Amino acid sequence: MTRIPTPKIFLVLALGLAALYLFPLYWMYATSLKGASEIFANPPTFWPRDPDFSIFAATWERRNMGTFLWNSLVIATGVTSLTVLLGTGCAYVLARYRSGWIDVGLFLILMLQVLPASTMVTPLYVGFNQLGLLSFPRTAVVLAAAAKAIPFYIVLVRATFMSVPRELEEAALVDGNSRWGAFFFIVLPLARNGILVLAILTFMQAFGEYIYSKSIITTQSLQPASVGLSGFLGPNSTDWNGIMAYAAIYVTPIVLVFVILQRRIVAGLTSGALK
Amino acid sequence: MGRILSSITDGKGFDIIMVGVTMAFLFALAGVPLVYNVVMSFQQVDMFNLNTFSRPFVGFDNYVAVVNQPEFWLIIRNTAIFVFGSITGQFALGFALALFFMIKFPFAATIRGLFLVSWVMPGLVVGALWGWILAGDFGVLNAILKAVGLTERTLFWKSDPNLAIWAVTMANIWLGLAFNMMLLSVGLAGIPRDLYEAAELDGANSWQRFTTITLPMMRATIGAVLALGLIYTLQQFDLFPAITEGGPANSSNVAQYWAWQWSFVLFDFAKGATVSVMMLVFVLVASIIYVWSTRHEVRG
Repeated sequence: MTRIPTPKIFLVLALGLAALYLFPLYWMYATSLKGASEIFANPPTFWPRDPDFSIFAATWERRNMGTFLWNSLVIATGVTSLTVLLGTGCAYVLARYRSGWIDVGLFLILMLQVLPASTMVTPLYVGFNQLGLLSFPRTAVVLAAAAKAIPFYIVLVRATFMSVPRELEEAALVDGNSRWGAFFFIVLPLARNGILVLAILTFMQAFGEYIYSKSIITTQSLQPASVGLSGFLGPNSTDWNGIMAYAAIYVTPIVLVFVILQRRIVAGLTSGALK
Repeated sequence: MGRILSSITDGKGFDIIMVGVTMAFLFALAGVPLVYNVVMSFQQVDMFNLNTFSRPFVGFDNYVAVVNQPEFWLIIRNTAIFVFGSITGQFALGFALALFFMIKFPFAATIRGLFLVSWVMPGLVVGALWGWILAGDFGVLNAILKAVGLTERTLFWKSDPNLAIWAVTMANIWLGLAFNMMLLSVGLAGIPRDLYEAAELDGANSWQRFTTITLPMMRATIGAVLALGLIYTLQQFDLFPAITEGGPANSSNVAQYWAWQWSFVLFDFAKGATVSVMMLVFVLVASIIYVWSTRHEVRG
Protein backbone atom coordinates (compact mmCIF):
# COMPACT_ATOMS: atom_id res chain seq x y z
CA MET A 1 0.00 0.00 0.00
CA THR A 2 1.43 3.35 -0.96
CA ARG A 3 0.67 6.30 1.26
CA ILE A 4 0.10 9.66 -0.41
CA PRO A 5 2.18 12.18 1.51
CA THR A 6 -0.13 14.50 3.50
CA PRO A 7 1.24 17.82 2.17
CA LYS A 8 0.13 16.77 -1.33
CA ILE A 9 -3.44 16.20 -0.18
CA PHE A 10 -3.48 19.68 1.31
CA LEU A 11 -2.01 21.12 -1.87
CA VAL A 12 -4.79 19.53 -3.92
CA LEU A 13 -7.37 20.73 -1.43
CA ALA A 14 -5.94 24.27 -1.52
CA LEU A 15 -6.00 24.31 -5.32
CA GLY A 16 -9.62 23.17 -5.19
CA LEU A 17 -10.55 25.96 -2.79
CA ALA A 18 -8.74 28.54 -4.92
CA ALA A 19 -10.51 27.29 -8.05
CA LEU A 20 -13.86 27.53 -6.27
CA TYR A 21 -13.08 31.03 -5.07
CA LEU A 22 -11.87 32.23 -8.47
CA PHE A 23 -14.79 30.66 -10.33
CA PRO A 24 -16.55 34.04 -10.84
CA LEU A 25 -13.46 35.25 -12.67
CA TYR A 26 -13.42 32.16 -14.88
CA TRP A 27 -17.12 32.55 -15.53
CA MET A 28 -16.56 36.12 -16.73
CA TYR A 29 -14.07 34.99 -19.39
CA ALA A 30 -16.14 31.93 -20.33
CA THR A 31 -19.35 33.94 -20.73
CA SER A 32 -17.69 36.66 -22.77
CA LEU A 33 -16.60 34.05 -25.32
CA LYS A 34 -20.05 32.49 -25.69
CA GLY A 35 -22.46 33.39 -28.45
CA ALA A 36 -25.70 35.28 -27.82
CA SER A 37 -27.77 32.09 -27.75
CA GLU A 38 -25.30 29.99 -25.78
CA ILE A 39 -25.36 32.31 -22.76
CA PHE A 40 -29.04 31.44 -22.32
CA ALA A 41 -28.49 27.69 -22.61
CA ASN A 42 -30.08 25.67 -19.83
CA PRO A 43 -28.14 24.11 -18.15
CA PRO A 44 -25.24 26.50 -18.86
CA THR A 45 -22.26 25.13 -20.75
CA PHE A 46 -19.16 25.08 -18.58
CA TRP A 47 -16.78 25.48 -21.50
CA PRO A 48 -17.77 27.80 -24.40
CA ARG A 49 -18.85 25.63 -27.34
CA ASP A 50 -17.27 27.71 -30.00
CA PRO A 51 -15.37 30.63 -28.50
CA ASP A 52 -15.77 33.88 -30.42
CA PHE A 53 -12.92 36.28 -29.73
CA SER A 54 -14.28 39.02 -31.99
CA ILE A 55 -16.55 40.14 -29.15
CA PHE A 56 -13.69 41.99 -27.48
CA ALA A 57 -13.02 44.24 -30.46
CA ALA A 58 -16.75 44.70 -31.03
CA THR A 59 -17.42 45.66 -27.40
CA TRP A 60 -14.42 48.00 -27.36
CA GLU A 61 -15.83 49.75 -30.41
CA ARG A 62 -19.50 49.73 -29.47
CA ARG A 63 -19.08 50.81 -25.84
CA ASN A 64 -16.51 53.46 -26.63
CA MET A 65 -14.10 51.80 -24.22
CA GLY A 66 -11.06 53.70 -25.46
CA THR A 67 -12.37 56.98 -24.07
CA PHE A 68 -13.64 55.41 -20.84
CA LEU A 69 -10.37 53.61 -20.10
CA TRP A 70 -8.36 56.72 -20.94
CA ASN A 71 -10.38 58.66 -18.36
CA SER A 72 -9.86 55.90 -15.79
CA LEU A 73 -6.14 56.12 -16.51
CA VAL A 74 -6.11 59.91 -16.12
CA ILE A 75 -8.03 59.77 -12.84
CA ALA A 76 -5.96 56.90 -11.43
CA THR A 77 -2.69 58.62 -12.38
CA GLY A 78 -3.83 61.85 -10.77
CA VAL A 79 -4.94 60.15 -7.57
CA THR A 80 -1.74 58.11 -7.32
CA SER A 81 0.57 61.09 -7.93
CA LEU A 82 -1.23 63.23 -5.39
CA THR A 83 -1.31 60.41 -2.84
CA VAL A 84 2.38 59.56 -3.16
CA LEU A 85 3.37 63.25 -3.15
CA LEU A 86 1.37 64.13 -0.05
CA GLY A 87 1.41 60.82 1.76
CA THR A 88 5.06 59.76 1.67
CA GLY A 89 6.60 62.63 3.64
CA CYS A 90 3.81 62.62 6.16
CA ALA A 91 4.12 58.86 6.71
CA TYR A 92 7.87 59.27 7.18
CA VAL A 93 7.54 61.92 9.89
CA LEU A 94 4.82 59.92 11.63
CA ALA A 95 7.14 56.91 11.64
CA ARG A 96 10.17 58.82 12.95
CA TYR A 97 8.85 60.23 16.20
CA ARG A 98 6.85 59.07 19.14
CA SER A 99 4.96 61.73 21.04
CA GLY A 100 1.48 62.79 21.99
CA TRP A 101 1.16 64.93 18.88
CA ILE A 102 2.12 62.06 16.60
CA ASP A 103 -0.50 59.89 18.28
CA VAL A 104 -3.13 62.56 17.73
CA GLY A 105 -2.14 62.85 14.07
CA LEU A 106 -2.28 59.09 13.60
CA PHE A 107 -5.62 58.90 15.34
CA LEU A 108 -7.07 61.59 13.05
CA ILE A 109 -5.75 59.78 9.99
CA LEU A 110 -7.19 56.46 11.15
CA MET A 111 -10.53 58.20 11.65
CA LEU A 112 -10.45 59.71 8.15
CA GLN A 113 -9.74 56.27 6.72
CA VAL A 114 -13.11 55.01 7.86
CA LEU A 115 -15.43 57.65 6.39
CA PRO A 116 -17.60 55.98 3.73
CA ALA A 117 -17.37 57.64 0.33
CA SER A 118 -21.16 57.46 0.04
CA THR A 119 -21.52 59.81 3.02
CA MET A 120 -18.78 62.19 1.88
CA VAL A 121 -19.99 62.56 -1.68
CA THR A 122 -22.95 64.81 -0.80
CA PRO A 123 -20.99 67.60 0.96
CA LEU A 124 -18.12 67.27 -1.53
CA TYR A 125 -20.48 67.67 -4.48
CA VAL A 126 -22.27 70.67 -2.98
CA GLY A 127 -18.98 72.26 -1.93
CA PHE A 128 -17.33 71.68 -5.32
CA ASN A 129 -20.42 73.16 -6.94
CA GLN A 130 -20.10 76.31 -4.83
CA LEU A 131 -16.39 76.61 -5.62
CA GLY A 132 -17.00 76.11 -9.34
CA LEU A 133 -14.86 72.95 -9.37
CA LEU A 134 -17.58 70.99 -11.14
CA SER A 135 -16.46 72.59 -14.42
CA PHE A 136 -13.31 70.50 -14.02
CA PRO A 137 -14.99 67.25 -13.06
CA ARG A 138 -12.01 64.92 -13.41
CA THR A 139 -9.86 67.19 -11.22
CA ALA A 140 -12.67 67.25 -8.67
CA VAL A 141 -12.82 63.45 -8.65
CA VAL A 142 -9.03 63.23 -8.29
CA LEU A 143 -9.11 65.55 -5.25
CA ALA A 144 -11.99 63.67 -3.62
CA ALA A 145 -10.55 60.20 -4.29
CA ALA A 146 -7.05 61.22 -3.16
CA ALA A 147 -8.46 62.40 0.16
CA LYS A 148 -9.91 58.90 0.50
CA ALA A 149 -6.71 57.12 -0.54
CA ILE A 150 -4.14 59.13 1.44
CA PRO A 151 -5.00 57.95 4.98
CA PHE A 152 -4.80 54.30 3.93
CA TYR A 153 -1.52 54.96 2.10
CA ILE A 154 0.00 56.77 5.10
CA VAL A 155 -0.87 53.98 7.52
CA LEU A 156 0.79 51.33 5.35
CA VAL A 157 3.80 53.35 4.16
CA ARG A 158 4.47 54.36 7.74
CA ALA A 159 4.95 50.67 8.52
CA THR A 160 7.56 50.51 5.73
CA PHE A 161 9.46 53.50 7.11
CA MET A 162 9.45 51.96 10.60
CA SER A 163 11.62 49.17 9.23
CA VAL A 164 14.31 51.55 7.87
CA PRO A 165 17.11 51.65 10.47
CA ARG A 166 17.41 55.04 12.06
CA GLU A 167 21.20 54.79 12.36
CA LEU A 168 21.66 55.05 8.58
CA GLU A 169 19.85 58.35 8.54
CA GLU A 170 21.76 59.69 11.53
CA ALA A 171 25.02 58.76 9.86
CA ALA A 172 23.98 60.76 6.80
CA LEU A 173 23.16 63.77 8.99
CA VAL A 174 26.55 63.53 10.72
CA ASP A 175 28.18 63.43 7.28
CA GLY A 176 26.71 66.84 6.59
CA ASN A 177 23.48 66.04 4.76
CA SER A 178 20.47 68.24 5.39
CA ARG A 179 17.23 66.61 6.52
CA TRP A 180 16.05 66.77 2.90
CA GLY A 181 19.24 65.14 1.67
CA ALA A 182 18.97 62.34 4.22
CA PHE A 183 15.31 61.83 3.35
CA PHE A 184 15.69 61.78 -0.42
CA PHE A 185 19.02 59.98 -0.77
CA ILE A 186 19.04 57.58 2.19
CA VAL A 187 15.55 56.87 3.50
CA LEU A 188 13.50 56.98 0.30
CA PRO A 189 15.71 54.55 -1.65
CA LEU A 190 15.56 52.10 1.26
CA ALA A 191 11.78 52.28 1.44
CA ARG A 192 11.38 52.26 -2.35
CA ASN A 193 9.85 48.80 -2.66
CA GLY A 194 7.15 49.38 -0.08
CA ILE A 195 6.25 52.74 -1.56
CA LEU A 196 6.10 51.28 -5.06
CA VAL A 197 3.77 48.45 -4.03
CA LEU A 198 1.43 50.83 -2.23
CA ALA A 199 1.47 53.27 -5.13
CA ILE A 200 0.43 50.41 -7.42
CA LEU A 201 -2.32 49.41 -4.99
CA THR A 202 -3.55 53.00 -4.83
CA PHE A 203 -3.52 53.11 -8.63
CA MET A 204 -5.55 49.91 -8.93
CA GLN A 205 -8.12 51.13 -6.41
CA ALA A 206 -8.44 54.48 -8.18
CA PHE A 207 -8.71 52.70 -11.54
CA GLY A 208 -11.94 51.11 -10.29
CA GLU A 209 -13.27 54.20 -8.50
CA TYR A 210 -17.01 54.55 -9.05
CA ILE A 211 -19.09 56.61 -6.64
CA TYR A 212 -17.31 59.98 -6.94
CA SER A 213 -17.06 59.71 -10.72
CA LYS A 214 -20.69 58.68 -11.07
CA SER A 215 -21.87 61.61 -8.92
CA ILE A 216 -19.52 64.35 -10.10
CA ILE A 217 -18.80 63.66 -13.79
CA THR A 218 -21.91 64.15 -15.92
CA THR A 219 -20.22 64.58 -19.31
CA GLN A 220 -20.00 61.14 -20.87
CA SER A 221 -16.73 61.79 -22.67
CA LEU A 222 -15.02 62.45 -19.32
CA GLN A 223 -16.39 59.44 -17.42
CA PRO A 224 -14.17 56.50 -16.38
CA ALA A 225 -14.73 52.85 -17.30
CA SER A 226 -16.60 52.03 -14.08
CA VAL A 227 -19.30 54.57 -14.91
CA GLY A 228 -19.29 53.36 -18.51
CA LEU A 229 -19.99 49.83 -17.29
CA SER A 230 -22.81 50.97 -15.00
CA GLY A 231 -24.48 52.57 -18.03
CA PHE A 232 -25.59 49.20 -19.35
CA LEU A 233 -25.57 47.15 -16.17
CA GLY A 234 -28.45 46.70 -13.75
CA PRO A 235 -31.06 44.31 -12.43
CA ASN A 236 -32.64 43.96 -15.88
CA SER A 237 -29.54 43.51 -18.04
CA THR A 238 -29.66 40.90 -20.79
CA ASP A 239 -26.55 41.67 -22.86
CA TRP A 240 -24.48 39.43 -20.58
CA ASN A 241 -21.75 38.41 -22.99
CA GLY A 242 -21.21 42.08 -23.85
CA ILE A 243 -21.07 43.03 -20.17
CA MET A 244 -18.64 40.21 -19.41
CA ALA A 245 -16.46 41.18 -22.38
CA TYR A 246 -16.38 44.78 -21.12
CA ALA A 247 -15.58 43.56 -17.60
CA ALA A 248 -12.85 41.26 -18.94
CA ILE A 249 -11.15 44.05 -20.90
CA TYR A 250 -11.40 46.35 -17.89
CA VAL A 251 -10.13 43.91 -15.29
CA THR A 252 -7.51 41.85 -17.14
CA PRO A 253 -4.66 44.40 -16.83
CA ILE A 254 -5.36 44.70 -13.09
CA VAL A 255 -5.43 40.94 -12.62
CA LEU A 256 -2.18 40.55 -14.58
CA VAL A 257 -0.36 43.18 -12.51
CA PHE A 258 -1.71 41.55 -9.39
CA VAL A 259 -0.54 38.07 -10.35
CA ILE A 260 2.94 39.34 -11.28
CA LEU A 261 3.38 41.37 -8.09
CA GLN A 262 1.29 39.12 -5.87
CA ARG A 263 3.97 38.31 -3.31
CA ARG A 264 4.98 41.91 -2.81
CA ILE A 265 1.43 43.20 -2.69
CA VAL A 266 0.46 40.70 -0.03
CA ALA A 267 3.60 41.48 1.99
CA GLY A 268 3.05 45.23 1.68
CA LEU A 269 -0.54 44.92 2.78
CA THR A 270 0.00 42.61 5.71
CA SER A 271 3.06 44.38 7.12
CA GLY A 272 1.03 47.32 8.27
CA ALA A 273 -2.55 46.30 7.76
CA LEU A 274 -3.32 46.12 11.45
CA LYS A 275 -1.33 49.15 12.50
CA MET B 1 14.61 84.64 8.16
CA GLY B 2 17.83 82.65 8.17
CA ARG B 3 16.69 80.78 11.24
CA ILE B 4 13.39 79.77 9.63
CA LEU B 5 15.23 78.63 6.52
CA SER B 6 17.68 76.49 8.44
CA SER B 7 14.85 75.05 10.49
CA ILE B 8 13.19 74.00 7.24
CA THR B 9 16.35 72.33 5.93
CA ASP B 10 17.59 70.92 9.19
CA GLY B 11 15.15 71.01 12.04
CA LYS B 12 11.55 70.82 13.13
CA GLY B 13 10.46 72.92 10.14
CA PHE B 14 11.09 69.94 7.89
CA ASP B 15 8.71 67.76 9.88
CA ILE B 16 6.09 70.46 10.17
CA ILE B 17 6.01 71.06 6.41
CA MET B 18 5.84 67.33 5.64
CA VAL B 19 2.92 66.73 7.99
CA GLY B 20 1.31 70.15 7.68
CA VAL B 21 0.73 70.17 3.93
CA THR B 22 -0.88 66.73 4.00
CA MET B 23 -2.97 67.53 7.05
CA ALA B 24 -4.17 70.76 5.43
CA PHE B 25 -5.20 68.83 2.33
CA LEU B 26 -7.04 66.19 4.36
CA PHE B 27 -8.64 68.88 6.48
CA ALA B 28 -9.96 70.69 3.39
CA LEU B 29 -11.21 67.56 1.60
CA ALA B 30 -12.32 65.36 4.48
CA GLY B 31 -12.59 67.43 7.66
CA VAL B 32 -14.51 70.35 6.18
CA PRO B 33 -16.93 68.13 4.21
CA LEU B 34 -17.56 66.18 7.39
CA VAL B 35 -18.66 69.33 9.21
CA TYR B 36 -20.53 70.58 6.15
CA ASN B 37 -22.47 67.32 6.16
CA VAL B 38 -23.73 68.03 9.67
CA VAL B 39 -24.51 71.66 8.79
CA MET B 40 -26.52 70.67 5.70
CA SER B 41 -28.54 68.14 7.67
CA PHE B 42 -29.99 71.10 9.60
CA GLN B 43 -30.69 73.19 6.51
CA GLN B 44 -33.20 73.24 3.73
CA VAL B 45 -31.22 72.64 0.55
CA ASP B 46 -32.85 72.78 -2.87
CA MET B 47 -31.87 73.55 -6.44
CA PHE B 48 -32.36 77.29 -5.90
CA ASN B 49 -30.11 77.79 -2.89
CA LEU B 50 -27.60 75.06 -3.79
CA ASN B 51 -25.08 77.66 -4.89
CA THR B 52 -25.47 80.10 -2.02
CA PHE B 53 -24.28 79.87 1.55
CA SER B 54 -27.41 81.35 3.13
CA ARG B 55 -29.93 78.59 3.48
CA PRO B 56 -32.89 78.42 5.83
CA PHE B 57 -32.20 76.63 9.12
CA VAL B 58 -34.82 73.97 9.73
CA GLY B 59 -33.71 72.35 12.98
CA PHE B 60 -34.43 68.63 13.15
CA ASP B 61 -37.02 68.70 10.33
CA ASN B 62 -34.81 66.65 8.01
CA TYR B 63 -34.26 64.00 10.66
CA VAL B 64 -37.99 63.81 11.40
CA ALA B 65 -38.77 63.57 7.70
CA VAL B 66 -36.21 60.83 7.10
CA VAL B 67 -37.39 58.72 10.04
CA ASN B 68 -41.00 59.11 8.91
CA GLN B 69 -40.31 57.79 5.43
CA PRO B 70 -42.28 54.56 4.92
CA GLU B 71 -39.12 52.74 3.81
CA PHE B 72 -37.01 53.90 6.78
CA TRP B 73 -37.34 50.76 8.93
CA LEU B 74 -37.02 48.49 5.92
CA ILE B 75 -33.71 50.13 5.10
CA ILE B 76 -32.50 49.85 8.69
CA ARG B 77 -33.41 46.17 8.66
CA ASN B 78 -31.64 45.64 5.31
CA THR B 79 -28.54 47.48 6.48
CA ALA B 80 -28.46 45.28 9.59
CA ILE B 81 -28.83 42.10 7.49
CA PHE B 82 -26.17 43.28 5.06
CA VAL B 83 -23.70 44.27 7.79
CA PHE B 84 -24.14 41.27 10.09
CA GLY B 85 -24.55 38.78 7.26
CA SER B 86 -21.43 40.04 5.53
CA ILE B 87 -19.31 40.20 8.67
CA THR B 88 -20.39 36.76 9.87
CA GLY B 89 -19.79 35.15 6.48
CA GLN B 90 -16.51 36.90 5.80
CA PHE B 91 -15.17 36.24 9.26
CA ALA B 92 -16.21 32.59 9.54
CA LEU B 93 -14.98 31.62 6.07
CA GLY B 94 -11.93 33.86 6.36
CA PHE B 95 -10.94 32.34 9.69
CA ALA B 96 -11.44 28.80 8.40
CA LEU B 97 -9.25 29.52 5.37
CA ALA B 98 -6.62 31.28 7.46
CA LEU B 99 -6.39 28.24 9.75
CA PHE B 100 -6.25 25.93 6.76
CA PHE B 101 -3.38 27.86 5.17
CA MET B 102 -1.36 27.69 8.41
CA ILE B 103 -0.78 24.02 7.58
CA LYS B 104 2.61 23.53 5.95
CA PHE B 105 2.36 22.36 2.34
CA PRO B 106 4.05 23.46 -0.89
CA PHE B 107 2.92 26.80 -2.38
CA ALA B 108 0.64 27.56 0.58
CA ALA B 109 1.57 31.27 0.63
CA THR B 110 1.25 31.65 -3.13
CA ILE B 111 -2.17 30.02 -3.33
CA ARG B 112 -3.35 32.04 -0.34
CA GLY B 113 -2.23 35.21 -2.10
CA LEU B 114 -4.42 34.39 -5.11
CA PHE B 115 -7.52 34.92 -2.98
CA LEU B 116 -6.67 38.59 -2.63
CA VAL B 117 -7.34 39.25 -6.31
CA SER B 118 -10.96 40.05 -5.50
CA TRP B 119 -9.73 42.92 -3.39
CA VAL B 120 -8.05 44.78 -6.25
CA MET B 121 -10.90 44.32 -8.72
CA PRO B 122 -13.17 47.30 -9.41
CA GLY B 123 -16.34 46.99 -7.31
CA LEU B 124 -18.50 47.51 -10.39
CA VAL B 125 -16.88 44.54 -12.12
CA VAL B 126 -17.42 42.33 -9.06
CA GLY B 127 -21.03 43.48 -9.06
CA ALA B 128 -21.36 42.62 -12.74
CA LEU B 129 -19.91 39.12 -12.22
CA TRP B 130 -22.28 38.37 -9.36
CA GLY B 131 -25.21 39.96 -11.12
CA TRP B 132 -24.71 37.41 -13.88
CA ILE B 133 -24.02 34.45 -11.57
CA LEU B 134 -27.18 35.26 -9.60
CA ALA B 135 -29.42 35.84 -12.62
CA GLY B 136 -32.76 34.04 -12.20
CA ASP B 137 -33.39 32.01 -15.34
CA PHE B 138 -29.90 31.66 -16.77
CA GLY B 139 -27.66 32.22 -13.75
CA VAL B 140 -25.06 29.58 -13.03
CA LEU B 141 -25.79 29.52 -9.28
CA ASN B 142 -29.34 28.33 -9.85
CA ALA B 143 -28.09 25.73 -12.31
CA ILE B 144 -25.60 24.43 -9.73
CA LEU B 145 -28.17 24.43 -6.91
CA LYS B 146 -30.61 22.50 -9.07
CA ALA B 147 -27.98 20.03 -10.25
CA VAL B 148 -26.95 19.33 -6.65
CA GLY B 149 -30.61 18.98 -5.73
CA LEU B 150 -30.73 21.78 -3.16
CA THR B 151 -33.68 23.46 -4.81
CA GLU B 152 -36.39 22.48 -7.27
CA ARG B 153 -37.67 25.89 -8.25
CA THR B 154 -35.79 28.78 -9.81
CA LEU B 155 -34.69 31.30 -7.20
CA PHE B 156 -34.98 34.87 -8.43
CA TRP B 157 -32.09 36.25 -6.38
CA LYS B 158 -32.30 39.78 -7.71
CA SER B 159 -36.03 40.29 -8.16
CA ASP B 160 -37.50 38.38 -5.19
CA PRO B 161 -37.94 40.92 -2.35
CA ASN B 162 -37.07 38.24 0.21
CA LEU B 163 -33.82 37.31 -1.47
CA ALA B 164 -32.46 40.51 -3.01
CA ILE B 165 -30.57 41.75 0.06
CA TRP B 166 -29.04 38.28 0.49
CA ALA B 167 -27.87 38.33 -3.10
CA VAL B 168 -25.83 41.48 -2.48
CA THR B 169 -24.64 40.12 0.87
CA MET B 170 -23.37 37.00 -0.83
CA ALA B 171 -21.40 39.03 -3.34
CA ASN B 172 -19.97 41.12 -0.52
CA ILE B 173 -18.91 38.04 1.44
CA TRP B 174 -16.96 36.89 -1.62
CA LEU B 175 -15.38 40.32 -1.89
CA GLY B 176 -14.39 40.74 1.76
CA LEU B 177 -13.47 37.14 2.55
CA ALA B 178 -9.89 37.43 1.29
CA PHE B 179 -9.12 40.56 3.27
CA ASN B 180 -10.41 38.94 6.48
CA MET B 181 -8.32 35.87 5.78
CA MET B 182 -5.16 37.93 5.22
CA LEU B 183 -5.49 39.90 8.46
CA LEU B 184 -6.32 36.77 10.46
CA SER B 185 -3.33 34.96 8.91
CA VAL B 186 -1.06 37.75 10.11
CA GLY B 187 -2.48 37.32 13.60
CA LEU B 188 -2.09 33.53 13.51
CA ALA B 189 1.50 33.81 12.33
CA GLY B 190 2.26 35.97 15.36
CA ILE B 191 1.39 33.25 17.89
CA PRO B 192 4.60 31.60 19.16
CA ARG B 193 4.90 27.98 17.97
CA ASP B 194 6.25 26.70 21.30
CA LEU B 195 2.94 27.47 23.01
CA TYR B 196 1.32 24.81 20.83
CA GLU B 197 4.18 22.39 21.38
CA ALA B 198 3.96 22.80 25.14
CA ALA B 199 0.18 22.27 25.05
CA GLU B 200 0.62 19.18 22.88
CA LEU B 201 3.11 17.72 25.37
CA ASP B 202 0.55 18.36 28.10
CA GLY B 203 -1.91 16.30 26.12
CA ALA B 204 -4.25 19.02 24.82
CA ASN B 205 -6.18 17.96 21.71
CA SER B 206 -6.49 20.28 18.72
CA TRP B 207 -9.87 21.68 19.79
CA GLN B 208 -8.48 22.47 23.26
CA ARG B 209 -5.43 24.10 21.69
CA PHE B 210 -7.71 26.20 19.50
CA THR B 211 -9.91 27.43 22.36
CA THR B 212 -7.18 27.92 24.97
CA ILE B 213 -4.33 29.26 22.82
CA THR B 214 -5.50 30.45 19.40
CA LEU B 215 -8.63 32.31 20.44
CA PRO B 216 -7.20 34.15 23.48
CA MET B 217 -4.01 35.07 21.61
CA MET B 218 -6.06 36.35 18.68
CA ARG B 219 -8.36 38.56 20.75
CA ALA B 220 -6.88 41.88 19.59
CA THR B 221 -6.72 40.74 15.97
CA ILE B 222 -10.29 39.47 16.01
CA GLY B 223 -11.52 42.75 17.50
CA ALA B 224 -9.73 44.72 14.82
CA VAL B 225 -10.95 42.47 12.00
CA LEU B 226 -14.58 42.64 13.14
CA ALA B 227 -14.44 46.43 13.55
CA LEU B 228 -12.78 46.81 10.15
CA GLY B 229 -15.45 44.49 8.76
CA LEU B 230 -18.16 46.81 10.01
CA ILE B 231 -16.34 49.84 8.60
CA TYR B 232 -15.73 48.29 5.19
CA THR B 233 -19.23 46.86 4.96
CA LEU B 234 -20.72 50.29 5.54
CA GLN B 235 -18.35 51.63 2.88
CA GLN B 236 -19.51 49.06 0.34
CA PHE B 237 -21.46 50.90 -2.32
CA ASP B 238 -20.55 49.66 -5.80
CA LEU B 239 -22.32 46.30 -5.50
CA PHE B 240 -25.73 47.92 -5.06
CA PRO B 241 -25.96 49.86 -8.32
CA ALA B 242 -24.41 46.90 -10.13
CA ILE B 243 -26.64 44.11 -8.81
CA THR B 244 -30.07 45.32 -7.64
CA GLU B 245 -30.10 49.14 -7.60
CA GLY B 246 -31.67 48.78 -4.14
CA GLY B 247 -34.77 47.16 -5.59
CA PRO B 248 -37.25 45.69 -5.97
CA ALA B 249 -39.16 48.35 -4.01
CA ASN B 250 -36.24 49.11 -1.65
CA SER B 251 -36.10 45.49 -0.52
CA SER B 252 -32.33 45.49 -0.96
CA ASN B 253 -31.70 49.16 -0.24
CA VAL B 254 -29.23 50.02 2.53
CA ALA B 255 -28.30 53.26 4.30
CA GLN B 256 -25.24 54.07 2.19
CA TYR B 257 -27.11 53.63 -1.10
CA TRP B 258 -30.19 55.43 0.24
CA ALA B 259 -28.07 58.45 1.23
CA TRP B 260 -26.69 58.61 -2.29
CA GLN B 261 -30.16 58.24 -3.85
CA TRP B 262 -31.49 61.17 -1.81
CA SER B 263 -28.74 63.42 -3.12
CA PHE B 264 -28.16 62.23 -6.66
CA VAL B 265 -31.46 60.70 -7.75
CA LEU B 266 -33.95 62.90 -5.88
CA PHE B 267 -31.58 65.90 -5.59
CA ASP B 268 -32.59 66.46 -1.98
CA PHE B 269 -29.10 67.09 -0.68
CA ALA B 270 -30.22 67.92 2.86
CA LYS B 271 -31.85 64.50 3.29
CA GLY B 272 -28.81 62.85 1.77
CA ALA B 273 -26.65 64.65 4.32
CA THR B 274 -29.04 63.63 7.09
CA VAL B 275 -28.85 59.93 6.30
CA SER B 276 -25.06 60.29 5.99
CA VAL B 277 -24.77 61.86 9.43
CA MET B 278 -26.87 59.07 10.95
CA MET B 279 -24.56 56.53 9.35
CA LEU B 280 -21.41 58.32 10.42
CA VAL B 281 -22.39 57.89 14.06
CA PHE B 282 -22.24 54.11 13.58
CA VAL B 283 -18.98 54.29 11.67
CA LEU B 284 -17.38 56.40 14.41
CA VAL B 285 -18.40 53.90 17.08
CA ALA B 286 -16.84 51.12 15.01
CA SER B 287 -13.64 53.08 14.47
CA ILE B 288 -13.27 53.77 18.16
CA ILE B 289 -13.46 50.01 18.75
CA TYR B 290 -10.94 49.51 15.97
CA VAL B 291 -8.47 52.11 17.23
CA TRP B 292 -8.89 50.78 20.76
CA SER B 293 -8.16 47.20 19.75
CA THR B 294 -5.05 48.25 17.78
CA ARG B 295 -3.79 50.85 20.22
CA HIS B 296 -0.70 48.81 21.10
CA GLU B 297 0.31 48.63 17.47
CA VAL B 298 -0.32 52.34 16.92
CA ARG B 299 2.08 53.20 19.68
CA GLY B 300 4.58 50.90 17.96
